[in-house]
Amino acid sequence: MISRQIKDNMIKGLIYVSSAFSVVILMVIIGFILIKGIPSINKDFLTNDYEDKTTYVTVTQAGTGNTYIEGNQCISENYGITLSVSEEGLSVDSIEKDSVLKLGKDGTNAVYPVKKTDVITKIGSFNAERELKNGASAEEILQSTKEALEISDASMKVKVVRKGGGILPMVVTTLYMIGLSLLIAAPIGILAAVYLNEYAEKGKLMTIIHFAIENLAGIPSIIYGLFGSLVFVQTIKLQYSILAGALTVSIILLPTIITTTEETLKTIPKTYRESSLGLGATKLQTITKVVLPNAISGILVAILLSIGRIVGESAALLLTAGTVAQIPERLYGNSASGATLTIKAYMLMKEENDLSTACAIGVILLAIVIVINMSSKLVTKYFLNKGEKA
Amino acid sequence: MNSEAMAMKREMEMVQNTEKKKVMKRNYKRELFEKVVETLFLLCAFVSVVSVIAIIGFVFYKGLRPFVGEDAYSFTKFITGTRWAPSENVYGIFYMIVASVLATAGAVLVGVPIGVLTAVFIAEIAPDWAVKILKPAVELLAGIPSVLYGAFGLGVIVPIMKAISPKVHGQSLFAVIIVLTIMILPTIVSLSESAIKAVPRSYTEASLGLGASKIQTIFKAVLPAAKSGILSAAVLGVGRAIGETMAVMMIAGNPTAGLPDSIWSMVRPLTTNIAMEMSYASGRQAEMLFATGVVLFVFIMCVNLAMTFITKKSEEAK
Repeated sequence: MISRQIKDNMIKGLIYVSSAFSVVILMVIIGFILIKGIPSINKDFLTNDYEDKTTYVTVTQAGTGNTYIEGNQCISENYGITLSVSEEGLSVDSIEKDSVLKLGKDGTNAVYPVKKTDVITKIGSFNAERELKNGASAEEILQSTKEALEISDASMKVKVVRKGGGILPMVVTTLYMIGLSLLIAAPIGILAAVYLNEYAEKGKLMTIIHFAIENLAGIPSIIYGLFGSLVFVQTIKLQYSILAGALTVSIILLPTIITTTEETLKTIPKTYRESSLGLGATKLQTITKVVLPNAISGILVAILLSIGRIVGESAALLLTAGTVAQIPERLYGNSASGATLTIKAYMLMKEENDLSTACAIGVILLAIVIVINMSSKLVTKYFLNKGEKA
Repeated sequence: MNSEAMAMKREMEMVQNTEKKKVMKRNYKRELFEKVVETLFLLCAFVSVVSVIAIIGFVFYKGLRPFVGEDAYSFTKFITGTRWAPSENVYGIFYMIVASVLATAGAVLVGVPIGVLTAVFIAEIAPDWAVKILKPAVELLAGIPSVLYGAFGLGVIVPIMKAISPKVHGQSLFAVIIVLTIMILPTIVSLSESAIKAVPRSYTEASLGLGASKIQTIFKAVLPAAKSGILSAAVLGVGRAIGETMAVMMIAGNPTAGLPDSIWSMVRPLTTNIAMEMSYASGRQAEMLFATGVVLFVFIMCVNLAMTFITKKSEEAK
C-alpha cells in the first residue's frame, strides 16, 4: 500500500511538472518577445514607412513675417516652421497648420505636406547636409538657414527626408492579405460546408471530398508555397504578388473554414429544417433563412481562426508574395509584391540579424493572436447565451 | 340563370387553370434555380479535391522531371547523397532525410509524454482555476506564429545550446528538437484531452470501485481506453513537426553536407532546404527543390495514411 502511494505520488509529480512546462514555456516565450521587442515600439514604429523617403518639395512663397533664431531653433514666421539642427540636417520641430510647406508639391505635382519630425536637408541653394558633413557648427547652420528662409523667391525647392524604420507598409500588406484571402476562401469554404452537410448524401463523393479536406489540412505550408510559386507566380504569371499569395493562402484556409462551419451546421437541430420545409420553403430558402443564420457563430469563429492563420503564415507567403517592404500598388504583376508582418520579422532575423526589431513586430503579432483567441471565445459564449435565452 | 351560372363556373375554372399554370411555371423556375445553386455548392465543395490533385500533380511533375530523359540525375544519388552543392550539380538529400526524421522522432518522443500528462492533468486532476490558466495557455501556444518560435529559438535556445554544447555553434539538432517539441505540444494536449474526456465515466467509476487509486485508474483504465485518440494526436504531431519550416530554419544551422553525428551537430531538414533556396533558384536547382518537396510529400502521405488507418480502426472497435 505504501509503495503504491509512493508510486502514485511520483507519477503525480511528473504530471504536475509536465503541466507546468507548457505554462512556463509560454511565459518564457512571451516574456522574451516583450522584453526584446517593446523598447523598439513607439508611434513612429507603427506609422512610419520602412525605408527613408527623400522628396524634393516645391513651395510657392506665401505668408510674410520675420525669421529669427531663438536658442538652438530657427523660427520662420513666413513659412510657419520651427527648425533645429540635428545629425542629418534640420529637423522640423513644429509646423503651423496653414504653413505653405503643407501645400508643397513633389516631383509628380502631387501635394506632399511636410510633417513634424521630417528632416529638411536642403533649402533652395543652401545644402544643410553637406555643410554638416563639412563640419559646420550648429550656429553657422542656423545662420545660413535663416538667410535661406529669408529669400522670398516665387518658388523654392526644399529637400525633405521622411524617416523610415516603421512597419506601416507591412501592416497594410497584412490587412490586404487578410481581406483578399478571406474574400476568396470564405465563400468557397462556407458553401462547401453547406453542400457537405445539407445536400450531399453519404457515399463515395462525400468520402472523396472529406478525404481531400483532411489531406489538405495535413500538407505543410512550404509545399503550398512550392505549389503557389510554380502555378500562381510562374505559370499564371502573377509574379510575386499579393494575389498569388492570397490564392495560395486561400487553399490553406479551406480545411479550417469547411470543418469549423460544418461542425456548427451539424449542431443545428433537424427540426429547424423540417419546420421550415414543412411551411413550404424551398431547400435554398431554408438554408439562407434558417440554417445559415443559426450557424453565424461558427462561421465567425472560422473567419477569426483564418485571420490568425493568415497573420501567422510565413513559409507559403515567402515563396508567393515576396519580401519587399512596400504597400502593394496592384493585385498582381509589377510592384504588387509586399511582405506581411510575419515575413518581415523573418527577413529581419535572417538577413539583417536584427532580432529586436523582429521581436517588436512579434509583440504586435502576439497582440493580434491574443485578441483573436479572446474574441473567438467571446463569440462562442455570446451566441451560446443567446441560444439559451431564445 | 342556368347558363349564366355555367358561364361563371367556366370562367372560374379558366382562372384557376391559368393560376395553376403560373404556379407550375414558377415552381419550374424555382426548381431550376435550386438546381443551379446546388451545383454551385457542389463546385465549391470540389475546390478542395481539385486543389489536392493539382498540388500533388504539379509538385510531382516538377519534382520528378530531373530524373527522367536526357541529362537525367541519378535518383539513387539524389536519395542517398550526403552533399548538396547546386553549383557543382551535386544534389544529395540523404542527410536531410535523416535530419528530418531524427528531429521529428526526438520531438515526438519528448513531446508526447509531456503532452499526454498535461492532458491528463487538465481532464482528470486539475482544479478549476488551474484549467482556466492551462487551457488558454495551450491555445495561445497553438496560435503563436512559427516565425516567433524561430525568434525564441534564436534568442533563447541557441545561446543556451552554445553555452553547454561541446561544439562552437549553438545551432543544432538538439535546438531543433526542443523548439519542435514546444510547437507540437498544443496539438498533442488538446487532442489527447478530448480523447480522455470521451472515455465513459463508468470506466473510471468501475476502476475506483474495485479499489484502484486515482492514478492507477488513469493509467490502467482511462488512458488505454483513449489509446486511439492519443495515437492520432501523436501522428498529427509527427505531421506538424516534419512539415515545420520557418522556426527550424533559424536554429538548424543548415550545413551543405554531412550526416549529423550527435545531437550537437548542425542539421538541414528537408523543409528548410526548400525555403532557403527557392526564392532565387532556377532550372535544375529549382527542380531539385521540388524533388525535395516530393520526398517531404511522401512522408506526409505516410502520416496521413497512418491517420486514416487509426481512425478506421477505432471506428471498427466501436
